[in-house]
Amino acid sequence: MTLATLRGSLRFRLLLGTLFWIAATILVAGWGLGNMFRQHVELQFHAELKTHLDQLTAQLALDDQGRPTLAMPLSDPRLNKPFAGLYWQIDRLAGPGFPASPAVMRSRSLWDQVLRVPADTLASGEVHQHRIAGPQRETLGMVERSVRIDELPLRLIVAADEGLMIEPVARFNKELWLALGVLGLGLALAALVQVFVGLAPLRKLRAALGRVHRGEVPRMEGAFPAEIMPLVEEFNTVLARNAEVVERARTQAGNLAHALKTPLSVLSNAASGKDDALARLVATQVEMARRQVDYHLARAQAAAAVRLPGARTPLNPVVDGLVRTMRRIHAGRDLDLVMQPMAASLAFHGEAQDLQEMLGNLLDNACKWASRRVEINAGIEQDRLVIRVDDDGKGIAAAQREAMLRRGVRADQQVPGSGLGLAIVDDLARMYGGQVVLAGSPLGGLRAVLTLPAVQ
Amino acid sequence: MRILVVEDEPTLAAQLAEGVREAGYAVDVAHNGLDAHFMGDTESFDAVVLDLGLPQMDGITALKKWRAARRTMPVLILTARDNWHEKVAGIDAGADDYLTKPFHMEELLARLRALIRRAGGHASAELACGPVTLDTRNNRVTVEGRALTLTSHEYRVLAYLMHHAGEVVSRGDLVEHIYAQDFDRDSNTVEVFIGRLRKKLPPGLIETVRGMGYRLANPQ
Repeated sequence: MTLATLRGSLRFRLLLGTLFWIAATILVAGWGLGNMFRQHVELQFHAELKTHLDQLTAQLALDDQGRPTLAMPLSDPRLNKPFAGLYWQIDRLAGPGFPASPAVMRSRSLWDQVLRVPADTLASGEVHQHRIAGPQRETLGMVERSVRIDELPLRLIVAADEGLMIEPVARFNKELWLALGVLGLGLALAALVQVFVGLAPLRKLRAALGRVHRGEVPRMEGAFPAEIMPLVEEFNTVLARNAEVVERARTQAGNLAHALKTPLSVLSNAASGKDDALARLVATQVEMARRQVDYHLARAQAAAAVRLPGARTPLNPVVDGLVRTMRRIHAGRDLDLVMQPMAASLAFHGEAQDLQEMLGNLLDNACKWASRRVEINAGIEQDRLVIRVDDDGKGIAAAQREAMLRRGVRADQQVPGSGLGLAIVDDLARMYGGQVVLAGSPLGGLRAVLTLPAVQ
Repeated sequence: MRILVVEDEPTLAAQLAEGVREAGYAVDVAHNGLDAHFMGDTESFDAVVLDLGLPQMDGITALKKWRAARRTMPVLILTARDNWHEKVAGIDAGADDYLTKPFHMEELLARLRALIRRAGGHASAELACGPVTLDTRNNRVTVEGRALTLTSHEYRVLAYLMHHAGEVVSRGDLVEHIYAQDFDRDSNTVEVFIGRLRKKLPPGLIETVRGMGYRLANPQ
């Protein structure tokens, strides 16, 4: 499938649209949920640091020598385990008569390390948040507060490894994306199934159309969803109307033929038996008019029928009818008309009257020229319907055969017939995308091979 | 020999009737399907020339009705539509041959002769009975090669007897087949024609079968 046909495919368009929205929704949901969770964890992280800072502040006191001390150690066990990720530290700030001294006290977890805190001035009791480098180059989230105990300015610091915060966020995100991935996959699968099931009637429609087109059925059959049914009915109506138009064209052609030929008969009869210039003129002109009428009527009818889809004509009944007719018409000639056994399934992809016209002319021709025997056989060759008509007459020289198919050429003016027969057969066959070929027959006479579209 | 010509176009009907009459047949004409069917159903004809496009009842219907009623006279269809669909339909309805318009009168007559001959079981265009020969193509009668001059009624009587050579032909049959319907029929005239024929033909050829009719002797 090329890109162009993909773009034109309803299934592709539906799928593309649905998948796009599924992907977009999942991305937005994942991003939003991840953010919310992250904010939540961050808040909690800082709240915990604040709690520790408050505890530290509460426990802070000065001993007898005026050095800061803790009334009670802080409870979190991580504070006692070296580099466990949770730290506190107390700095003495510069005051009157003494310089600043970092880390006058610190948690055991800091071991011998000192937290480097950005130098900023804090109003007393104010809490600041910072991010600093930790004892192991990790990033620490940190809160600080300055307090003054007995005029001794101190800065209390609590810090924790941000990894402690990032790790659950990362784990949450991983699970979130996994869950969303599964959800997306499920939705995509559902969309696929929906498109497949939803568009199934269209496939059925196409199959039904194909059957009509190949001539297997005369109209579209089967139950279709309410959305498609009107289309199918409309199409069937069009098909029926087409058939009606062809039928009407036939009737009109017939009426026209009748209307024209009866006066022609009168004229030609009036002129016959006389031998003057007028009579001869009438005779030739009547003959010419008759040929023109026959030829153009046959063509007009065929042209109407060729555009009719869904036409299917079983071969057997047509050949039967024609053989019956030939036997009767040529009853005086003691002809042996042999119809070789042919499969009942053989069918012409076209209109019955056109097949009758082609075969009738070929058979009639063969009967006119045969001395004793005419044979018909038919079969499928390379998906085409091939019908052979053989006679045991004197045949036609190879050089003359081509000319026989042209309009109005007659091999022998003595045998009655318009000479248009073979030309009409050739015209009709061509309109249907087939052909008629003349060759020598194994019976000794002429063989006409008619190739036409078949219905399988 | 009596022919029914069915054609709705008056000029063509007249031409047909004239052509067929000139060929030595008695002719009746019908101008619509209903009349045609009635005449074909109630009278005896040796052949019918039937146009298909007729008012009131189309030719095919009339033909089917005749065949359903076991009227077996040969029927030659005249059709304007030169397509095989119609020809097959006509033959299947019981026609024996067809001719498309416009046609040559000679061809129509040739077909008609062939149909009548076939209906009587004769293979050749020349009917022979002893020394007498009748050429249906030109209505010539010869006795031992010598041409015989006959009036049209004498010819019709002889032709009918020769088509049914060896059979007993009743006087009624002869009347039916030598006169058109509108003709003032008188079966006594048949005897007159027979008498004249006997004078022109070799003696003993036309036998009288007492109480039944006539028979042409010595058929070949």
